[in-house]
Amino acid sequence: MNSEHEGVSSNRVQLIISAKSSGPGGFTSKLAGLPREEMQQRFTLALDSAAAEVFEMMVGTPLGPSDQASLPRVADYTAMIGLAGDLCGVLSFRWSNDSATQIAGKMLGTDEIASAECVRDALGEICNMVAGSFKAQLSDVAEQCMLSVPMVVSGKDYQLYPLVDGLRIQVSRSFEGALIWMTLDLHNG
Amino acid sequence: MNALRVLIVDDSAVMRKIVDRSLRQAGLEIKEVFEASNGVEALARMQQTKVDLILSDINMPTMDGLELVRQLQAVENAQGVPIVMVTTEAGEAHVVQALSSGARGYIRKPFSSDQIKERIIPLLQGQK
Repeated sequence: MNSEHEGVSSNRVQLIISAKSSGPGGFTSKLAGLPREEMQQRFTLALDSAAAEVFEMMVGTPLGPSDQASLPRVADYTAMIGLAGDLCGVLSFRWSNDSATQIAGKMLGTDEIASAECVRDALGEICNMVAGSFKAQLSDVAEQCMLSVPMVVSGKDYQLYPLVDGLRIQVSRSFEGALIWMTLDLHNG
Repeated sequence: MNALRVLIVDDSAVMRKIVDRSLRQAGLEIKEVFEASNGVEALARMQQTKVDLILSDINMPTMDGLELVRQLQAVENAQGVPIVMVTTEAGEAHVVQALSSGARGYIRKPFSSDQIKERIIPLLQGQK
């Protein structure tokens, strides 16, 4: 994952996420017949649709179109969740502090500034629900794909190295005038 | 329908709040809400309290929602109380497992208050 997409300022902390398949899984087992472009398109649509559904229903604010040209990439918070089984990899989300605080406030239904603990809780739940909705849309892998417990990192001083060797899907959207983006890194089987 | 006493079980405090709010937005009159962050806390609560409805997540630390549903079968206060699983794990296998463990309904996260209404009101009306 390169630093342009990380919004990081230094390499002080390095997170190395191992996402190797434990068996004959990997996305190749059931999706091997699909051309890479088709797989990329299918996963991108599913991820985009899952995020849209979660934001509309649980945050109460629809995601807007991505405007990468004018919106800065600021990643004060990163939430990650692992996928294992027929789909194996890591799904990560990045938000600015303002976006994260707004999301938590909207989920809690309050105008008050949410505590750091509530912000982390809210982001972890968003990550979990988007991952769940994403895999539910891929009916051919949903039953044999498990999710890990989500993890939330706050701060910018880190590099993330998902040890995967397959597809990378990136989807960005705007939320209340700020950019949020999701990255799905999949192991190749 | 009488005002309800509800137990909401989820390891996320934010999600417990959302479930609480969604129940009210669905038009249900809530008398009291009890919260638990895992199955063990929920079991302890149910030893002391009678509720009309239990909504539980599945993936939780210490004791998950499926084990909670199984153990509630032996709790007197839980007899006849509808248990609805509210979870991201909505694959057919999970639904079958939850229903065969004793849950009466299943709601996939994310959910709307309309979905809460559709799934829960019939269960509560069926109790009478």
